[in-house]
Amino acid sequence: MANPANNSWTRRTPDRPRRRDIVITALLGLVVLFVLLASGTLDPSAWIAASLAFAALAFIYFLTAVTSVAPAQAAQSTVAPRPSEAESATAMLEKIVVPVLLIGPGGRIERANPAARAFLALGAEGGLLSTSLRQPRVLEAVSAALRGEPGSIVEYASIAPIESHVRAFVEPIRMPVAGPMPWRAMLVLADETSSKRAERMRADFLANASHELRTPLASLSGFIDTLRGPARDDEEARDRFLGIMREQTDRMRRLIDDLLSLSRVEMNEHMPPAGEADLCAIVRDVTDSLKPMAAVRSITLDLSITGDSALITGDRDQIYEVVENLIENAIKYSPDGARVHVTALGGCPRDDAEHPADRIAPESARLVLAGPPFDARQRYGVLRVRDHGGGIERRYLPRLSERFFRVDGQKSGPAAGTGLGLAIVKHIITRHRGGFAVESAPGSGSVFSVFLPQPALRPAQTVQAEPVTAGVATE
Amino acid sequence: MNSPAQQGHHIVKAFSEELEQLSAAVATMGGLAESLISDAIDAIVTRDSDLALDVVERDKRIDALQRDIERQIIRLLALRQPLAWDLRVCIAALKITADLERIGDLAKNIARRTRALNEAEPLPLAKSVERMGRLVQGHLHEVLDAYVSGEVAGAVGVWERDDDVDEHYNALFRELLTCMAGDAQLIGPGTHLLFIAKNLERVGDHATNIAELVHYAVTGTELLAERPKGAFPDGPAS
Repeated sequence: MANPANNSWTRRTPDRPRRRDIVITALLGLVVLFVLLASGTLDPSAWIAASLAFAALAFIYFLTAVTSVAPAQAAQSTVAPRPSEAESATAMLEKIVVPVLLIGPGGRIERANPAARAFLALGAEGGLLSTSLRQPRVLEAVSAALRGEPGSIVEYASIAPIESHVRAFVEPIRMPVAGPMPWRAMLVLADETSSKRAERMRADFLANASHELRTPLASLSGFIDTLRGPARDDEEARDRFLGIMREQTDRMRRLIDDLLSLSRVEMNEHMPPAGEADLCAIVRDVTDSLKPMAAVRSITLDLSITGDSALITGDRDQIYEVVENLIENAIKYSPDGARVHVTALGGCPRDDAEHPADRIAPESARLVLAGPPFDARQRYGVLRVRDHGGGIERRYLPRLSERFFRVDGQKSGPAAGTGLGLAIVKHIITRHRGGFAVESAPGSGSVFSVFLPQPALRPAQTVQAEPVTAGVATE
Repeated sequence: MNSPAQQGHHIVKAFSEELEQLSAAVATMGGLAESLISDAIDAIVTRDSDLALDVVERDKRIDALQRDIERQIIRLLALRQPLAWDLRVCIAALKITADLERIGDLAKNIARRTRALNEAEPLPLAKSVERMGRLVQGHLHEVLDAYVSGEVAGAVGVWERDDDVDEHYNALFRELLTCMAGDAQLIGPGTHLLFIAKNLERVGDHATNIAELVHYAVTGTELLAERPKGAFPDGPAS
């Protein structure tokens, strides 16, 4: 970036007499004097006086030449002893990770640091603030600041593409510029999603844990009372009760594990994962590890993987959890001896990723439980798990990823889940900016589809979207 | 006096600035509508009557903004007589503001029901309403992003996914009916929730309308090739 301040240093100093010029001038003067002396028009005493005056003049001239050259040379060797205040302020603003913007008259963005450009997805040109940040309260505060009114702090939440909480600091600044509008507004955005989330997670966790653990706990204490009282010497009842108590404690442990897992996932949901993982390899690993569990009920796991690998952007352990949850569910809700189909493929555009090409039944219901904003250029790695269980009624589909939601009739029994599995899946998928969809028809089974964004391996920037600038004007 | 060339340049610049101001004003109005929907849902979920009153109050600003923008557009049409792209942008803005104004009204309607809901015991289905609301709010956000950036793909994405909203609405409808059939005490609050769900579904429809208008403004063609599939499919999706 060319800095105008540098120009004064690089420019040459204006012409100064150089030593050679001084010597030539002096010699010329001496020659003239000698000629005058030789022709006899000047007497020797006047000649000596003139020579001395001349020499003194040349000496002073020489001195000025030496001193005036010196600073220019020094400046060329080092750019500046220290940066100017404006320069260092600019450099710091460029590097600071907090979005900072300067808004000019009419709400036009005059300056924005790189953090702000990234945060608001600004183009090269600033444009108007209201098009980039559609938050009425912030815009109001900014226009108040532009009128010179005192600054304010505004909090806002935004839900897309991911839930985030931001605190906006608005301060008026009076600029030394001519004209009727000297006021600018400085806008600083502080992302407070983490702390807000942590706060809510803690409250949710306590509420959920205390509510959901109460039921098994109540039944445990009931059995303990019975065992200490009426059933004290009844050996048969004791064995049965201890069996039930064992089941209840297992359930409590599973519940706590799932709750912890869920709150861990939720805590990081706003931070997209950085790593890469191979969906196909994960699917292979999970199916291998679940084969024994399926074999117990003679359920066959059909694996069809298209292509060798499907690289996705994501955290391997979390994706493993997703795949495991989905396949485990499929096994759990399949009748004995049924088949479970697992499909994995890469390079899918969004439309094909959501649902399989063919419906499982003509009357089946389809629903996207979580989906990223539409991006025609993004390709996805897709996993589908198809079971031939009882299927899910249409009206329950939207609630599937709700925590502790279990479809009627699944609320009891030894296989009863915690009701958190699909909630965990949904949160992991949302964190990965992927999608989660379900198709189901009572009697025909269900298909759960998960799609995760693949790293950009796009063939050299395909068609660019049409830029929107106010078009060619009419005459 | 400026030369004719310079003058022409000046007129174009002023006009494109006016168009930019116009879309900024529409975006501002969109942001206001978004915040109304968001706050109305929050009011229902957190049972906050004050927030609900605030939503009702703020709807007036949307109406005022709509009148302003309409006046601005009529002035543009009269003075600049725009053609082609510019004309489409103006017409689309005119229609989008009408949709946004309706969304504001629906948000107000939702907020007004908060008080009645707060008088009854909390319903377990408030969560489903919230989920549907967030979905609709997300659609509105995406379609406004598409409007501001001119990315048609985003608008088409929202347009295609309107059936998700319908699916949520149908599911909620059936669940509420089951709920109310089981307990007569729930008929009052249940009906309010039903109307709220219906309003949210209408907001989703308006977002779909806006998506169509964005498509029209950018490409000049109408988005009618394939309507979003209804709640009950008639064949495999292509």
